[in-house]
Amino acid sequence: METKILSVLEERISKATENLIAIDVMEAEYAKLLAIGQEKNADSWITRSQNQSPHCKFGETGVCCKICAMGPCRITAKAPKGICGCDVHGIVARNYLRFTAAGSATHSDHGREICHTLHETAEDGNYKIKDPDKLIRLAQEWGIETEGRDIYELAHEVAFEGLQEYGKPFGTLRFLSRATKERQETWAKLGIEPRAIDREVSTSQHMTHIGCSSLPDVLIKQALRAGLSDGWGGSMMGTEFSDIMFGTPKPIDTEANLGVIDKEYVNIMVHGHDPSLSEMIVEHANDADLIALAKSVGAKGVNIVGICCTSNEVTMRHGIPMAGNFLQQENAVLTGAMEAVVVDVQCIFPALGPLSKCFHTKFITTSVVAQMPDAEFIRFNAQTAGENARNILTAAIENFKNRDQEAVYIPQMKAKARVGYSCEAIIKQLDTVTSSYIDELGTWKPLIECIESGVLRGAVAMVGCNNPKVRADFAHIELMKKLLKNDIILVLSGCSAQSAAKGGLMNFEAKDIAGAGIKRVCELANIPPVLHMGSCVDISRMMILVNQVADQWGIDVPQLPVVGCAPEWMSEKAVSIGNYVISTGIDTFLGIVPYVDGSDVVKDILTNQARDWTGAAFTFETDVDKLGDAMIQRIEEKRLALGI
Amino acid sequence: MTLFDRVFNGSDDMFNLAAKAVDDAINQLGPEAAVSLPNTAYGLPCLYAFTGKKYPTLASLKEEALADIQEFMNHDPQLHNVFTSGVGTALSAEVIETVKYMLNGNEKPYDDRYHGHLSDAEIRELGVPLVTDDIPGVAVLIHEAPSPEIAADLIKGYQAKGIMVFLVGGIIDQAIAADVNLGFKIRIVPLGPELPSVIHVVSVAIRAALIFGACTPGDYDGILKYTFDRVKAFVNAFAPLDDMTVACGGGAIALGFPVMTDETENIWSVPKSLLLYNEYENYVDASIEMRNIKIKITEMDIPVSYAAAFEGEIIRRNDMQLEANGSRLDCFELVRTIDANDIEDHKITLIGKDFEEFEEGGRFNLGLLVEVAGNAMQSDFESVLERKIHHFINNMEGIMHTGQRDNSNIRVSKTAFNAGFRAKHFGEVLYAKMKDEFEAVVDKCQVTVYTDAEECKDFRFNVAIPIWDKRDERLESLTDESVDVFYTCTLCQSFSPSHVCIVTPERLGLCGAVSWLDAKATKELDPSGPCQIVTKGGLIDEVMGSWDDVNAAVAQYSRGALSQVTLYSILEDPMTSCGCFECICGIEPASNGVIIVNREYVGTTPIGMSFGELASMTGGGIQTPGFMGHGKHFIASKKFMRAEGGIERIVWMPKQLKETVADRLNHTAKELYGIDNFVDMIADEETAPDEETLVEFLTEKNHPALSMDPLM
Repeated sequence: METKILSVLEERISKATENLIAIDVMEAEYAKLLAIGQEKNADSWITRSQNQSPHCKFGETGVCCKICAMGPCRITAKAPKGICGCDVHGIVARNYLRFTAAGSATHSDHGREICHTLHETAEDGNYKIKDPDKLIRLAQEWGIETEGRDIYELAHEVAFEGLQEYGKPFGTLRFLSRATKERQETWAKLGIEPRAIDREVSTSQHMTHIGCSSLPDVLIKQALRAGLSDGWGGSMMGTEFSDIMFGTPKPIDTEANLGVIDKEYVNIMVHGHDPSLSEMIVEHANDADLIALAKSVGAKGVNIVGICCTSNEVTMRHGIPMAGNFLQQENAVLTGAMEAVVVDVQCIFPALGPLSKCFHTKFITTSVVAQMPDAEFIRFNAQTAGENARNILTAAIENFKNRDQEAVYIPQMKAKARVGYSCEAIIKQLDTVTSSYIDELGTWKPLIECIESGVLRGAVAMVGCNNPKVRADFAHIELMKKLLKNDIILVLSGCSAQSAAKGGLMNFEAKDIAGAGIKRVCELANIPPVLHMGSCVDISRMMILVNQVADQWGIDVPQLPVVGCAPEWMSEKAVSIGNYVISTGIDTFLGIVPYVDGSDVVKDILTNQARDWTGAAFTFETDVDKLGDAMIQRIEEKRLALGI
Repeated sequence: MTLFDRVFNGSDDMFNLAAKAVDDAINQLGPEAAVSLPNTAYGLPCLYAFTGKKYPTLASLKEEALADIQEFMNHDPQLHNVFTSGVGTALSAEVIETVKYMLNGNEKPYDDRYHGHLSDAEIRELGVPLVTDDIPGVAVLIHEAPSPEIAADLIKGYQAKGIMVFLVGGIIDQAIAADVNLGFKIRIVPLGPELPSVIHVVSVAIRAALIFGACTPGDYDGILKYTFDRVKAFVNAFAPLDDMTVACGGGAIALGFPVMTDETENIWSVPKSLLLYNEYENYVDASIEMRNIKIKITEMDIPVSYAAAFEGEIIRRNDMQLEANGSRLDCFELVRTIDANDIEDHKITLIGKDFEEFEEGGRFNLGLLVEVAGNAMQSDFESVLERKIHHFINNMEGIMHTGQRDNSNIRVSKTAFNAGFRAKHFGEVLYAKMKDEFEAVVDKCQVTVYTDAEECKDFRFNVAIPIWDKRDERLESLTDESVDVFYTCTLCQSFSPSHVCIVTPERLGLCGAVSWLDAKATKELDPSGPCQIVTKGGLIDEVMGSWDDVNAAVAQYSRGALSQVTLYSILEDPMTSCGCFECICGIEPASNGVIIVNREYVGTTPIGMSFGELASMTGGGIQTPGFMGHGKHFIASKKFMRAEGGIERIVWMPKQLKETVADRLNHTAKELYGIDNFVDMIADEETAPDEETLVEFLTEKNHPALSMDPLM
C-alpha cells in the first residue's frame, strides 16, 4: 500500500469514528420508542415542543416585564419604555439577573441539602464519612481544629460552618480563597465578591423589584456575583461535602445509553441531582433479601440506571450505568421495562407522571421541592433514608410482575465509558507520567507541560443540558469531535458528559478520533480523551482545576488557553454557571442565546464589556461549526499571547 | 520560537541536506545509478516502510522520494505535523546515509570506529534476546556527553542492565578515549560520526515492525503503534541541541521513543516524551523509568558486572588470566536432581585450588556441579537447566564461555581476576540464577566447583558421562508419536503478535531456542505463560502433521489470525514464523528441491536471493507456502517437510551450515532412505553458486530430488 501521508490523520479519525454510536442511529431508535408511546397515547417533548413553536418573541428576546402588576409590559418600537419608565436594557438585564438568581438558588439549595445530610452523618447512621482525609483537609482549610477529634463530631462542625456560609451576616465566602490571588483581587476591585450565599439571591430579587435597579451594568455585575455565590459557594459545597460522605470519585468503568436497561432485571431509574437518595438506593439494591425478592418475582436481580445528574453522581462513585441525559428521560420509560422512576430534584419533566401511567411504571417523587402530578410521593429524609430506599426498592421489585414483557423494546445500543475524574483523580493520573527523578508528585505540571509545549493546544470545559431547540446531543458530540481532532482536551460534566458517554467518546479507544497530541496523551496517561468530572454542581471542580493550573503555571486564569462551552443549555442553573465561569476568567461559548437579544447594551456587556471587568466574556453562536471554530480561534489567540 | 517551530526548522534543514546529497550523487554517479543499502531486503527500509514505495534509481530518489518526504513536512502547529515532520527528518537522514554508501561503492563509508547500517540478519539475531528481555531496552546516545567519563559511565551503566546501546556523533570518540569496548556483539554499536547516522538505529526499529510485526509498508499508524507498543527504545541527547537534533527527537517521540536531554536553552519539557535533566549519575535509571522499562535484578555477590550484553564479549589470549579447556583437560558442567535432604541451600564448595594458585595465562581443570531439588522438579528439566549454564557464565563481564557438558571452554580475563573473581563466584552466579529463573521448580540448590584434576576426571567419567548417556537415550526415544501433547510457544508475541509456534519433540521452535523439553519446563515454571499444552485430538492427516486440536490451538493463540497449520509440510498451511528464525528454506524449482539458508550466511543462493531477501518473504505470523522459517536442529528431523518427501528434498545449503548438521543429517538419511553420506550430495555456495551449476552438481551426484514427484 502507498501512504498518502496528508490524509493519514483524516483516515484514522474517520475509521475510528465508525466505532462511535452515531446520532442518527440513536435517533432511529428513539423514533421506534416514540411510536410505541404514540400507540399508548403518550405525548412527548417532541410534540410538546412543536406545540409551543414558534416561541413568544417578547419572551425570547427578554423584553417582557412581569415584575409588577401594572404590566405585563412588552417593549416594542412603538412602546420603548415600560409603565414605570424602565427602558429595554433595564428590563432585559433585570430578567437576566432573575434568571441567574433562580439558577444560583437552585444549585445552592442543593448544596445546602448536602450540608444538612453531612450534619446527619453518624458512625451507625444511614450516612457515613467515606473520605475522612478530605474532611480533615477541608476543616484545616477553614481553620477548624482537627487534632484528636472524633471524625463525626468534626463532620458536624464542618457542616454547621458550611451552613453558616448561606446566611452569615458579615464577610465574603470562605471558598474564594481557593482562587488565585489575581482572581480575588479582580473580584474585590469589581465589587462582586459574594457575601452569604442566600444574600446574593435575595439581593438579586431585591434589585429587580419594581422601583429598584434599572442600570444594565449594575444588574449584570450582580448576576456575576450571584453566579459566583453558586460556583464558589453552594455548588462547591455540594461537591466537597458529597465527596466527603460518598467518596471522592476515581476512575471507574461503566456503560451508557438505553442498552443498559436490562430486560431480565427489575429496572429502576434514578433521576434528578441530589445524590443523597440515590446513594441509599444503590447501597441497598444488593441487599440479599431484596435480591431474593427479585428472584421470587422472576427477575435475575435489580438493575439501577441513571438519568441526568443523579446518574452522574452515582456513576462517578459506583459505576452505575447511565441510561441517558435530560432529553432521554422519557425514552427510558418508553422501553416499557422500567419498574420505577425515582426522582429527587431539578430537571424532572412533570410529563413523567402521566407517561408512567401509560405503562406499569411507578413514578416516585421524594422531595418536597419537586412534587408532581401522577406521582407516588415517598418523602425522603436523612434519618429514615435507608428505610425509604428499601421501601422504594421493594415497591419497584413487586411491580416487576406487572410488566408486559412482550411489549418491552430496549434499543440494544450502549457504549463503554470510563468516568470519575475528580481533580484528585486527575492529579493521580498525571502522577503516572511524572519522572520520579525530576518531578514532584501531586501537581498539575504534566498537564501544564503538555499545553505549554503545544502537544495539547488547550482545553474546553463542556457542560450543560439538552435543549429541543437544537438536535439533541448533536452539538455536544460534533463539537467534541472537532475539538479533539484539533488536540483540545475536554473536561465534561452534566448532560454534556452523558452525551459523550452515550456516543462512545468516553471510552479509552475513542482516543483514535483525536489528533496525535490527545491520542498520545491518552496512551501515556491511560485516560479517555474526554474526562467526566461529574454533575452540574461539579463544575466547581473545574473552577478549582483552572485556578490551580494558573497558579502553578504562574499566569492569570484569563491567560490560560481554556474556554467553557454550553452548546445545548436550557436551565436557569446554566446561566448562573455561565456567570461564574466568565467571572472566574474563562471565556464561555453558548450555543443557545439567553433571553437578552432585545438589548444590544446587555448583549454588549455580556459579550464584550465583561472582558474588561473579569478578563472573560460570553460568545453566543447558534451555528455548531462556527461555535467550534470560534473556540479554537480563541484558544490559539491565547497561545499566541503567551508566546507558546 | 516554540518547540514545534524548532522541529519544523530542523526537519527543513535535514531535508535540504538530503536534497543536496541526491544532487551530488547524481552528478557523480548519474541519474540511473541503482539505489540501495547493503544486506537488506527492504531497499531504503524507512522510506519503504513509511511510503510503501521503493525508489530504484537516483532519479526516482530525486523526483519521487524527495517529493514524498516533503509531504511529511506540514508545518501547521499540531502534534501530528510535528510527528510526520520528525519522521520526514528520519527519512531525509536515510537518503543522506544511503548516498554516502552509494558514493563509497555500496561499502561502509566510515572507518573502523563506526558500524553504520545494520543488516537484516543482525536485526533478526536480536529478535530472541529482545523477546526474552535479555535486552530489556535500547538506548540511543547522541552527541558529545559533558565528559568522556560521563559518556563511559552511561554506556557501562546501560550495558550492566542489559540495555543495548547505540552511539551517534561525538560520544563515540569519548567512549574510545575512555577505553569502552564497542561492537555489535557486545551490544554497544557506534553508528556514525554525524547526526544522520542515527537513521541506522531507527531502521532497526522500523525493520522490526516489518519483519516481526508484519506491518504493511505504507501503514504509517500501524508502524508507529508497533514501535510505541513493542520497541522499548529511548534517546539521550546531549547539549547543545541544534534544530536538526530536535527534529530527530520529534521523530523518535513519534515512534514512542522518549528523549532525555541536558539542554537548557530553547527546550520544553513534555511528560514521558521529552525530559530535561542534568544529574548524570541518575541518567540511566531515569531514562529506563521514562520508557517504562522493567529490569529484573538478581542480587549476586560477585565482583564483576552481570548482563546479557556481555554474552558477546570475547576474551583474547593476551587478556586471559586462566582457561579451562574441555577439549584438552577433563572438564564438565552438570545439573542433577538429588534428595532435598542432601542439599544445603546456597552451599558453595570448592574442591581443589583457587585461581591465585594457578599460573597467569595457564590452563586448569574445571567441573561445575549444580545439584537441585524441588517438589515440581522433573528429571526431564535437568538438561534445560544445564543448557542455561552457558548463558549464566557468559553473561558475567570478563568471563567467556563456549560449549557444554564436557567440551566447554571457559576463559577468565585478567581484569575479572584482578577485580577479585575467584572459583566460588561461579557457584554464586549459578546458585542465584538457577533459583531466580527456575524458582518454580528449584526449591534448593548447591554448587560444587572442582578444580582438582583427578577429581574432575573421576567425576567426568564415572558420574557425568553415564548421566548424559542416559539422557540422550531418553531424547532419542522422544518422538512426535511417543508423546501425548505438544506445546505452543508464544514468547515472540510481544514482538510478532499473531505468530504461534507449535513445538514438538521432533520440531523445535524456529528460533532454535525452545525444544519440546524447554516448552514443557516453561509450562511448569509459568503455568499461564507462553508455552501451553496442545493436545493431539482429531488427527486429520498423519503425513502432513495436521490435527484439529493443533488448528484450534493456533486459532486461539493467534487470536484468530490463523486457523490451520500443518507441522510437516512447507506447501500446505506451513507453520508461520515470527522473524527470528535460524534458517529459512525455500523451493528451488529447477531441481525439484529446497534450499536452506542460515542467518549467518551473507552471500546469495542459487535462486538469486540472500537470506535477508528470502526471510522477508515470510515472518510476522504470515503463512507463505513454499517458504518456511525453522531452527537448525529441525533440518535433520524425520519430520522435516515429510509431506513433500522429507530431507531428500534438500539440494543446497551454505557450507558452514552443512558442516554443522552433517552428522545428524547423514544419520537420518541412512535411517530413512538407506543413503550413505547424504550431505555430500547437497550442493553449497562453492559447488553450485547458481541454478545452472546446481542442477549440474545434483545430476552428477545423482541427488534423489531430481527423480522425485514434482514439488509443484
